[in-house]
Amino acid sequence: MTLIATRPESGEARPYSFPTVVRAGVTGGLVVAAHLPGQLLAAASLLLDAGAAREVAGREGTATVLAKALEEGTKERDSTAFALALEGLGAELSASVDWDVFRAGVSVPVGLLPAAVRLLAEATRTPKLDPADIARVRDDEVTGLRMDWAQPGPRADFALRADLFGATERFGRPLHGDPESVAAVTVDDVLAFHASWLVRPGVLLVAGDLDRLDLDALGAAAFAGTSGGQLEAEGPLGVPVRDVRRTILVDRPGSVQSTLRLGHRAPHRAHPDYVPMQLAATVLGGAFTSRLNHLIREVKGYTYGIRGDFALSRRFGRFAVSASVQTAVTTPALIDTIGEIGRTRLDGVTEEELAVARTWRAGQLSVDMQTPGSILGALSTLVIHGLPDDYYATLRQQLLSATVAQVSAAAAEHLHPEGLTMVVEGDAALIRDELVAAGFDGIVDFER
Amino acid sequence: MTSQPTPVATTGYPWPIESTRLANGLRVVVSEDRSTPVVCVNLWYDVGSRHEPPGQTGFAHLFEHLMFEGSVHVAKTEHMRLVQGNGGSLNATTNPDRTNYFETMPSEHLELALWLEADRMGGLVPALTQETLDNQREVVKNERRQRYDNVPYGDAWLRLLPLLYPPGHQYHHATIGSMEDLNAAGLDTFKAFHQQFYAPNNAVLTVAGDASPAEVYALAEKYFGGLEAVTDTPAAPGAHLTGMATEPVRETVTGNVPAPRVYLAHRTFPFGTAQYDAITVLSAVLGNGRGSRLYRRLADGSRIAQPDYVAAYGVDLAHAPAPLILTATAKDGVDPETLEAGLVEVLDGLAAEPVTEAELDRAKALLTTFWWRQLSTVGGRADTLGRYATQFGEANTAAYRLPAWQSVTADDVAEAAALALRPSSRVTLTYLPGESS
Repeated sequence: MTLIATRPESGEARPYSFPTVVRAGVTGGLVVAAHLPGQLLAAASLLLDAGAAREVAGREGTATVLAKALEEGTKERDSTAFALALEGLGAELSASVDWDVFRAGVSVPVGLLPAAVRLLAEATRTPKLDPADIARVRDDEVTGLRMDWAQPGPRADFALRADLFGATERFGRPLHGDPESVAAVTVDDVLAFHASWLVRPGVLLVAGDLDRLDLDALGAAAFAGTSGGQLEAEGPLGVPVRDVRRTILVDRPGSVQSTLRLGHRAPHRAHPDYVPMQLAATVLGGAFTSRLNHLIREVKGYTYGIRGDFALSRRFGRFAVSASVQTAVTTPALIDTIGEIGRTRLDGVTEEELAVARTWRAGQLSVDMQTPGSILGALSTLVIHGLPDDYYATLRQQLLSATVAQVSAAAAEHLHPEGLTMVVEGDAALIRDELVAAGFDGIVDFER
Repeated sequence: MTSQPTPVATTGYPWPIESTRLANGLRVVVSEDRSTPVVCVNLWYDVGSRHEPPGQTGFAHLFEHLMFEGSVHVAKTEHMRLVQGNGGSLNATTNPDRTNYFETMPSEHLELALWLEADRMGGLVPALTQETLDNQREVVKNERRQRYDNVPYGDAWLRLLPLLYPPGHQYHHATIGSMEDLNAAGLDTFKAFHQQFYAPNNAVLTVAGDASPAEVYALAEKYFGGLEAVTDTPAAPGAHLTGMATEPVRETVTGNVPAPRVYLAHRTFPFGTAQYDAITVLSAVLGNGRGSRLYRRLADGSRIAQPDYVAAYGVDLAHAPAPLILTATAKDGVDPETLEAGLVEVLDGLAAEPVTEAELDRAKALLTTFWWRQLSTVGGRADTLGRYATQFGEANTAAYRLPAWQSVTADDVAEAAALALRPSSRVTLTYLPGESS
């Protein structure tokens, strides 16, 4: 065996540059595009200010039902004809909703993008929305949610979100609704949501070889027949955090693992501390060598993986740690997890840990952004959060220059181990006594 | 319908491919692309769960975990720290056929990635400790719980394999393996496993992205050139099958699932054959998208299946006839017999209602987009080239797959289906909600 003992130095870095961003106003709408010379695939996405926040109380899931109903045919053709036209291009419609926006997109070989965008617009702007189809899609969605809720995780997420944001608030209810709220969605709810929010122009995002694409023509197809202006953005919700911890137990009899969700509220995406917050979370629970993964997986062997992160949207954010641990070690895993969050808040991060976090996050900007789809995601971040076109170039520098003091300060400011909501979904009969014995008292049972 | 047909590809791999072989047998493949300053280093080791003898199931996969736990010059967890700490992404996977390891890095760290890979290829055994083995065994047990045991229908693949392949066949058992086998094995067994299979002459090193062949060849020689070839790499146990199965097999599982679900599965042809290309196109005709037969007939037409859960897919195994799997989950109030009859009707109906040209075109268009999406990252390209070099001897055979799919005819599909999808060779796995038996 002859191995080279010395670890090689790095070579000379070739700078990464985010693709050129082009903005073009087209008949009342905005096209934001990224130029990817030579790329064989192209992607486009229509971004509409029609996030889940616009749903009516008690009808959470309306936008999700609408997203699925868009494929049930258009004013021009029935559902099968539409599917065959789109799939004949090699494309599939991906329509989805998050807290901030409704998006509908396609991805195809670049020469087919104009045809695919025309179909995308046809489905989004002029869907057939036959009442019987809407009712069936809604019923299927209820069944699908029940399937989903049979997995470990969704009920724990529900309990955490309700506790952090309030069970009666929209942001305290599941993004896609729950089986009951979706069952309550009416045909009129769906029609009204479409009429109110999906016929405004919005923003068309395009990622591909712009030498082969005509943005004006794409925009004209995307914005045809639309009306209404840009909607006023509402401000951040604030970050209320309790001063006591709360434990919520979600019973899943027979479960061989406990699903853990520990979290509290956090600032919104455009908050000035975004970079040091992300780096602090990377040290705590983002990287494979993070404090949590090292201790809970690599030292203790309690889990296949554990992660902690900030998820931030336009008006609010949350910090959460997620893991599935073997039932027998539920309590020690919880104690260790809280310990690492507390230690990170109190003592901050070390230069050695931060060095890994900042280079990793900066490097990921180039490693992750190779495909039209990932570039499209980056463009949507610019548009949704009102960030400048040079944001990604700046972000790289900010990540690389963040100091131990800045990141430790962000950990101290934005981690709240004393106010955590701790949700444990598992076999309650096996874990309750141990949780109580370990001092997790005042356990709330989640009833659903 | 649509004005523009999907472009027909003359090659499925329009980037350069260069390759060489070191004196110790390590094959090196390079695909240069300077468009972004990113490079992927990928190693395919020709060892998978098919090589595991009875009593050693799960070894190949556990080994994948151990490869991240340190080697002669790399401390425990340092591999991850060095890759992520230099901006890279990494992972590894194990399947019945092979084990692959890969990291995509900013290209100035190419040499680091090669050094790390060489160190664990040639220097893992001296660094392997009982403590590491015990820890990763627990991690793998949690992986099994999380992926297979704690989710409804999670064990379907574990159940299908022994129904599809007879005892003794290399695909009879699933890659995750038996926890009893993992518990029973000692450190020396694992050390022997590494020495047998993790050798330069049992691997393909592929580098795709921001690097030249000359540069990669020189670095490969520098870091891997001193490793010795292994001459007694064991062959995988039997892959021989005497044709298609001749008796249908059924299994019914009652357990904690939210709705009845049916899987139909057949052994078809090995990945890489023209017949399997026909099965791949057929699987897209049957199960890919809202224009597919399963969707149109079961989800949309008779409305007996939940729309989000109808699927048909091949599992691309190369060393024996690969499975084609169809599945559907019942809508509320639909009994499993009706659901199964619906699936069977689609499959058995292929003879009376052959696949049409329009259906073929739709399937090929979707496969074309899938192919280009897979190759849109340097990581996807490196893995594809590593696969073709390992399984078919030459990396540049990767270029043939897309044109091969595009040239599949309705007759090819009919012929493959008539041979492989007979009721007499069918495996049926049904899940029913209820108290676990």
